[in-house]
Amino acid sequence: MSAILELVNLERSFRVGRHTVYAVDDVSFAVNEGEVVCLVGESGCGKTTTGKMAVGLLRPTGGEVRFKGQDIWKMNAADFRKYRQAAQIIHQDPYSSLNPTQAIVDIISAPLLRHGVAHNRLAARALSAELLRRVDLTPPEDLLDKYPHQLSGGQRQRVSVARALTVNPSFIMADEAVSMLDVSIRVSLLKMLARFRTEMGMTYLFITHDLAVARFFAWDGRIAVMYLGRVVEIGPTPRLIGQPQHPYTKALLSAIPEADPQATRTKERVQLRSMDVPSLSNVPPGCAFHPRCPLFEPGVCNKTVPQLTAIGEGVQIACHVVVRDQSAAAGATREVTHGA
Amino acid sequence: MPPTVRSQSQHIKDEVTLSVDDLWVTYLARRGTVKAVRGVSFDLRLGETLAFIGESGCGKTTLGLALIRLLPKTAKIERGTITYTRNGMPTRVLEMDAEALRNFRWKECAMIFQGAQNAFNPVLRVRDQVWDTARAHGEGNTTRARDRMLELFRLVSLDPDRVMNSYPHELSGGMRQRVLLALGLLLDPQLIILDEPTTALDILTQRSVIEVLRNLRQQIDFSLIMISHDLSLAAELADRVGTMYAGGLVEVADVYDTYYHPYHPYTIGLIRAVPTLSGARRDLISIPGSPPDLIDPPAGCAFHPRCPYATARCREQQPVLVTVDLNHQVACWNWQVVIADSGALLVMQAEKE
Repeated sequence: MSAILELVNLERSFRVGRHTVYAVDDVSFAVNEGEVVCLVGESGCGKTTTGKMAVGLLRPTGGEVRFKGQDIWKMNAADFRKYRQAAQIIHQDPYSSLNPTQAIVDIISAPLLRHGVAHNRLAARALSAELLRRVDLTPPEDLLDKYPHQLSGGQRQRVSVARALTVNPSFIMADEAVSMLDVSIRVSLLKMLARFRTEMGMTYLFITHDLAVARFFAWDGRIAVMYLGRVVEIGPTPRLIGQPQHPYTKALLSAIPEADPQATRTKERVQLRSMDVPSLSNVPPGCAFHPRCPLFEPGVCNKTVPQLTAIGEGVQIACHVVVRDQSAAAGATREVTHGA
Repeated sequence: MPPTVRSQSQHIKDEVTLSVDDLWVTYLARRGTVKAVRGVSFDLRLGETLAFIGESGCGKTTLGLALIRLLPKTAKIERGTITYTRNGMPTRVLEMDAEALRNFRWKECAMIFQGAQNAFNPVLRVRDQVWDTARAHGEGNTTRARDRMLELFRLVSLDPDRVMNSYPHELSGGMRQRVLLALGLLLDPQLIILDEPTTALDILTQRSVIEVLRNLRQQIDFSLIMISHDLSLAAELADRVGTMYAGGLVEVADVYDTYYHPYHPYTIGLIRAVPTLSGARRDLISIPGSPPDLIDPPAGCAFHPRCPYATARCREQQPVLVTVDLNHQVACWNWQVVIADSGALLVMQAEKE
């Protein structure tokens, strides 16, 4: 499997008054062709900023975004245009991401005409109908001439998906694409997006704050957990949910209420040392999680920033203590085997 | 069930705090009359937590507002009774005059609104806002109000002195939400209504608010109505769950029954549509179609156009809530059929989609 998208030491800072705020700091991971990577974290952790940089909406202040091996900000105009077609976006809010003054057919036709997929309005209309059918909005004739306000939230989000599909993308960044939708509608949309993976080999960077949704959607993919601008853990979904390694991931998973009274009331909780979320303009030194972390070791965690380190089975974590203990344990096992 | 889990239901008394009977609320809209709450009846006992779940537009917030008569001017309570009882003294909420209503709100029944943590007055210290509340509701003794508030702040795990002297912007979202909970309890109400209490909060903050609510429930006797679209919140805190669809209650049951043995096809669909973290990855189902237009709701059962179990009777006659099991009421003509095949038709319908 080859990487379609690579984020390399990605960094994005914003100037806020006299301060510089690092919304994303040294984020590196790759998304392979046909894979789903879910980016999860609490609000303000930089997941949306990372997503925007991945689709070229925001220019990084450091590091590189590579698409099929090429740095997107060093591409020539023609290549950049191709990349822009290949990487599409589904926004969170279907109420504000569709132009209220345009009929559905115009919303979908615009990119078809712009990118020369269709050469006249009639052809664009036929193609739009075809796209609506692909997103299960049938019969399309009923919807083509409607305006966004005449559609339900679920239908609107499907129109956004149809619009993203107009230019035959190979990669979609979906930012909280289902969080505004009611639960009964959410599932069918997620299933449809999953179907595009088998039908057209779609690759997703799926951003959500809901780990249960991430688990469902990225079951055979990976999840990356972000905290204050950095990825703290990344690994295959069942493994990350079932055996989280980073203390933040553990805390997060243990804190999430679940729609299962028995499980949610008996779940063991990780106690944090502090409930205060540090501000991005004043990120703690060393590991940003150290003031809250139950594993905190003075002199280690508050000194140097932990780097993402592979600890086997496709898992990488950024934690001094866990990585050290694991390698010590591995060393011990090695000695035992050696001695035997 | 392990006893530790069930222990909170020991706080429930036999006394009924709130009794709602056949409540109808409509809104006047340009297109016609929106029937937002359609014939809702339920009883709430002292110390009990009842959660109303349902999707957007199902009437759960309107129901909450109607209970303390805070509906906007375009709304009208068409029919029904709301009886509130304290110390064996029943009062009819819908018959109260302005003065009685003012005394009822906050002293008897406090409501904490969605996103209200952002509704503090930004230029007043928390201390002054607490005092304003106390005075407006007839508490003239500063020390007494202050002592009560300090005690409540401790109950919601806040540092009382620090919070009292803070301005709202100095507190985090979770802290403000806890200040609100304490403020809601200031005048010792017997009923608290929470509308989407944790929706805008981050996961770890949400957890602290949930734990605080659970502690409060164990230390103070009050009844709680929780309105939320978040099924996991009800799973955490509720004793009983009422499922709403198109303005009506379709099922009211013990929380464990709602999640593990729901009888109404809509409840089954709703529960099975939510992904979970623990356990096997179960296949989720979706309910085809969308909720009906409440200006012109379908005849008979409002769910029939989306229901794979619908029969001729469902299209004509509206089912009412009937008690079918201990602590379990359902409004469905075919509930026996639904349980008999454990909702298999819903799964088939979702697969066909």
